[in-house]
Amino acid sequence: MPQTSSTSTATPLKHAFEARVSDVKSPKSDINALILDYLTMEGYPKAAAKFSKEANLQPQQKDNLIVARQEIKQAILEGRIEAAITSLNEVDPEILDKDPQLHFALLRLQLVELIRQCNGGDINPALDFATKKLAPKAAVNKEFLSDLEKTMALLIFPHDNLAPELGALLQSDLRQITATKVNEAILVRQARRREAAIRQLVKMRAWAETSARSKKKDLPDRIDLGLYGEDNEYNENGHEPMITT
Amino acid sequence: MTNPFQHGSSSFGGDPISSSSLPTPVGQRRSSYASVVSGASSLSRPSRHNFHHLLNPSPDNDMYSNLYSTQRNSRFDAGMTQGRNGASGEDGLPSVAWQPRLGSGLPYWSRAFEPYICKDPLFPNGVVPDDGFSSLLNPTASPAFLSPSYLRGSVYLQRLEDAHKARVAAEREGHAAKAQAGAGLATGANAHPQTSKIPAGSHRGVQYEVVEKTPSVEDGAAVSPLPSRWNRDDKDPSLDVIGDGYEAKHIGRSPGDHEACAIRADHHMPALCGVYYFEVLIMNRKREDTTIGIGFSSRTVSLQRAPGWEPDSWGYHGDDGHCFAAQNVGRPYGPKFGPGDTIGCLINFRLGHALFTKNGDDLGIAFRDVNFKDVKGKLYPTVGLKKPGDHVLVNFGQQPFLFDIDGYMKKQQKMISESIRTADTTKLAPPLNETELIQQLVLQFLQHDGYVETARAFAEEIHAEKQALNLDASREIEGINIKDDEDANNRQRIRRAILNGDIDRALKYTKSYYPNVLSENEQVYFRLRCRKFIEMIRKEAELNLLIEKKNAARARQGEDDEEMGEADAHNPWEDQMETEDGTDSAVLSKLSHEALEYGMELRSEFNNDPRREVSKHLDEIFALIAYPNPLKVKEVAHLLDGTGRVAVAEELNSAILMSLGKSSRAALENVYAQTLVLLEDLRQDGGDGAFVTVQNVINDIPKPTML
Repeated sequence: MPQTSSTSTATPLKHAFEARVSDVKSPKSDINALILDYLTMEGYPKAAAKFSKEANLQPQQKDNLIVARQEIKQAILEGRIEAAITSLNEVDPEILDKDPQLHFALLRLQLVELIRQCNGGDINPALDFATKKLAPKAAVNKEFLSDLEKTMALLIFPHDNLAPELGALLQSDLRQITATKVNEAILVRQARRREAAIRQLVKMRAWAETSARSKKKDLPDRIDLGLYGEDNEYNENGHEPMITT
Repeated sequence: MTNPFQHGSSSFGGDPISSSSLPTPVGQRRSSYASVVSGASSLSRPSRHNFHHLLNPSPDNDMYSNLYSTQRNSRFDAGMTQGRNGASGEDGLPSVAWQPRLGSGLPYWSRAFEPYICKDPLFPNGVVPDDGFSSLLNPTASPAFLSPSYLRGSVYLQRLEDAHKARVAAEREGHAAKAQAGAGLATGANAHPQTSKIPAGSHRGVQYEVVEKTPSVEDGAAVSPLPSRWNRDDKDPSLDVIGDGYEAKHIGRSPGDHEACAIRADHHMPALCGVYYFEVLIMNRKREDTTIGIGFSSRTVSLQRAPGWEPDSWGYHGDDGHCFAAQNVGRPYGPKFGPGDTIGCLINFRLGHALFTKNGDDLGIAFRDVNFKDVKGKLYPTVGLKKPGDHVLVNFGQQPFLFDIDGYMKKQQKMISESIRTADTTKLAPPLNETELIQQLVLQFLQHDGYVETARAFAEEIHAEKQALNLDASREIEGINIKDDEDANNRQRIRRAILNGDIDRALKYTKSYYPNVLSENEQVYFRLRCRKFIEMIRKEAELNLLIEKKNAARARQGEDDEEMGEADAHNPWEDQMETEDGTDSAVLSKLSHEALEYGMELRSEFNNDPRREVSKHLDEIFALIAYPNPLKVKEVAHLLDGTGRVAVAEELNSAILMSLGKSSRAALENVYAQTLVLLEDLRQDGGDGAFVTVQNVINDIPKPTML
């Protein structure tokens, strides 16, 4: 059997766990599939196209579908919500009607963006938008109403000294979160899957470690992912990384 | 003919309804296997006659379907469908399909049930040997593989199956070695396509890939097998094991008041399963009271006692409906049970409880907070029979269960996946959040493995996102600088060459960029050389296909011409021999000549190599010469498949990385491998890890195919 894992680099200091990790196989076909899946699902069309070329894999989704999702994502991240809603309706005319939560989340983000723009200036466009687009929806749903109220508070308080809960609305995180929600909603309708497999793997890795530690399994103090190269890899005491050269 | 399997086996081929409802390839495979095993009994017919049977039932066949088909259809078809889909674990089979037809008017001891009783375990797809040949040579060589539906997709069952396949392959290889002792390249070229030349499990790719797929940490200790039969050596003398070992019957005298006659299964219930389940059908002929206890016990427990009465034993008794947890006094638990009832016993190692079922209904938890895995000695399925005539039939998973154990298992899996879904990932690589961490993992992998262009495109796309999110115009978002890493470029160039099938170019690049890698990694060098041979054969085969296509087109053209009245009593075959196809066939013969020559060279280079896998792989690829067009022979076409290129390319890439002193693994691969090992730890005692696998995550990805 070809031995291509890194067992030969094992040092005597290695924890038994690390040795076992070196011994298991991580087939490239699986890893490549994870990568292509991620680039496709999370909307990186250029990288996905390059990767299917470089790794000789057939694209998982048609390029135009990925591009469409990316354009919507990018518009939301930039705060151009109206453009995002328009494109979303082009991609899938039914999606917002069938998912009122998603529709409300987008409209509320649009309100936040309007409030951001009018910082200190004319608040009429924001008020107008809230009355026309959000109020009718909030009237029939308590959760929506509470979200709307919180957002409207942004008009009253000065932005440089907001309660954390309100301040969070003005952070870019809200755009990120909304963009992810929209992407997942499209994916479920396009591919019947919500998220990329790599997310499940990473979660499984985190869960498995927590679970194994709570069961008192014999593990090193820290299990490094090796993101920053070899030297940082594993070190018995969990202190400074060893310098081996 | 005294084949004990005859009855059951031939029924696969003989029943027109159940066979014809299957897609042909599966049906054909099964029935041909069945007819081989049963010695071509008159009841079994080749499946291509199935429709004919339906329309014009012959007398023997008619009798057969009348007697059995009503009962068997639902159960057998369900079982076989399950067999095909079971591996994915996602078959949406309604549980209704599993309902027994016990109420069909026949008494439960009727001979009509014989097919259930004296039949082989159901074959999950891919486990049935696909060429009936070796079974003919040695019918007992490939025992069927027990694959209870609820365990399909689990690591435990996968390991059992791998071990089973390895055994079958080893046995077949023994045959093959005998059959072609001394056969070399020359005989290889003359071999018949159907002989044992075809490697076992060939549908799964080159042998070494199969081995590679199984993580070595997972085949460390031998996997303990599932309970499969009653143990003739672990029973009270008053009991007899009947038939294939599924039935036990009390044939002695009535024991004393405080005694019973017990029998245990041949293997213990493995905690590694997480959940174990079996069912027992009470087969007594007389309706009068029966005293039967069903449960599990360790081997130290006396066989003169019913399960549950002694320490390290647990049981549910039919005479009073009580359950007994390691003591003489039971507590009221469920209904009484007797003849015709099917009692199931389920042990949940993760939650430490056990429950029973009656005729498919869950009776609730009987024993809780028992640390089954810490019981001294392992636990064996056990029944205790008290009265002469007491008679039971056990189902260890060789047939569908009455209870919806698959649904139970899915619920368990759901509980685990729910806690995985909500796991906190922020501690993996602080201060990165999940999205940032994944971006880093992907980017690092792309750079590590030399996917330079992808890395660059990805970095640009991430950068655009970060910029969009930047609300502070005065802050500059730094771009990610993908170094123009010459080394990464070189490795990508080599990979590209291999993926394009241009092995010579890859060898040339490797020799000039990394002069020592090939001499230090002989195995990789060998793979490359073999791949070159495969590519030559592939080229030849592809040209062959092309010529065939041209011929077909010309033949059609010829017919058209005839119809138009320009009949030219001309054989279209002769025609092309004279025209420009002369060049095609010249190229073809040149290619084939070159391939042969290169093959000889390869053979002589590695002739003295003592390693078994080297000569085996050489034999395997040289066999390709035997076929006029190996691309059209599905048993060997996989050897020519593009996936083989990826395997070779990655092996070489790893070797180069190692020679540069870099980790052969990117962080994402560490995450993968660490998760495998952590799950393995969590699986040991039947804990959470028994219910999830990394493979299931990978299987969620729609399969990208090779270009």
